[in-house]
Amino acid sequence: MLNWEKTEKTPLITSCKQAARLVSVSIERPLSLRENITMRIHLWMCRTCTLYRRQISLLRKAFVRHEEVLALTPPSEGESLDAQSKKRIQDAIVKSSCGETQ
Amino acid sequence: MAVDNHSDIKQGPVSDPAFWVEKHGDYLYRYALMRVRNREAAENLVQETFLAALTARKSFGGRSSERTWMVGILKHKLIDTYRKSFREKSISEIQTDEEQTVDSFYDAVGNPGKYPKDWLPDPEKMLNSKEFWEVLKGCLAKLPERTAAAFSMRELDDLDTDQICKELGINPTNLWVILHRARLQLRGCLEMNWFEKKAENA
Repeated sequence: MLNWEKTEKTPLITSCKQAARLVSVSIERPLSLRENITMRIHLWMCRTCTLYRRQISLLRKAFVRHEEVLALTPPSEGESLDAQSKKRIQDAIVKSSCGETQ
Repeated sequence: MAVDNHSDIKQGPVSDPAFWVEKHGDYLYRYALMRVRNREAAENLVQETFLAALTARKSFGGRSSERTWMVGILKHKLIDTYRKSFREKSISEIQTDEEQTVDSFYDAVGNPGKYPKDWLPDPEKMLNSKEFWEVLKGCLAKLPERTAAAFSMRELDDLDTDQICKELGINPTNLWVILHRARLQLRGCLEMNWFEKKAENA
């Protein structure tokens, strides 16, 4: 079982599974000193987890940009409202605005 | 109030609702679709957003763009959708599910079942590629609804642990295991559908 809570009992030499957890958790909260050392020792020795860490941070970088990408790229197939849906939504707006007491 | 008199004449800075669907419909739809991955749900969210905007249009101060204001409304609607997906199962069941999925990526001693490959040497180029985004969206869509909900709040909407936990009624431990699972799964999916395919075609 993985330790998700902050713990001082993390062994200094740990498996990829634990190291990957620490990489992920380090994004969410500051690691304890011991956790941090554990993660660093592992990353120093392990190419796999170093790659994992780089890929995760790349993913995060991508997601930060998603709004920009949505705004700048045309919708791909199936990503726009079809004429029928547009009409349905338009009708709902008209109906709702007519119902307003002005 | 003087301000009210002004808005009576000008109807505030909001554009004519008759053109909202043409102006913002597709953007809001794509924005929602990236998070809920269900056409019908996304479409309903867009409609609800417009109707809420219609009701609230007099209070729109014009401090942000109309688009940003509508996205803000959509974000509230999305949070309701996320919440619903967490009501279907107990928190302990969710926790067990997510932990089991994390476990499935590793063998008994904690070595990865599949070793990550070295990705593109040029991340900038990758992030600018339309094809990459298609694959990424496809991979997001493969996450289970609940996992995607928590992940979207964290990575797409940049909410912090406290906010997400409060909205979803979970604790930080639950959230972190969900996020970790999502990252493992997305990483694997991207590697398979983008990097390995690229390598095959190269």
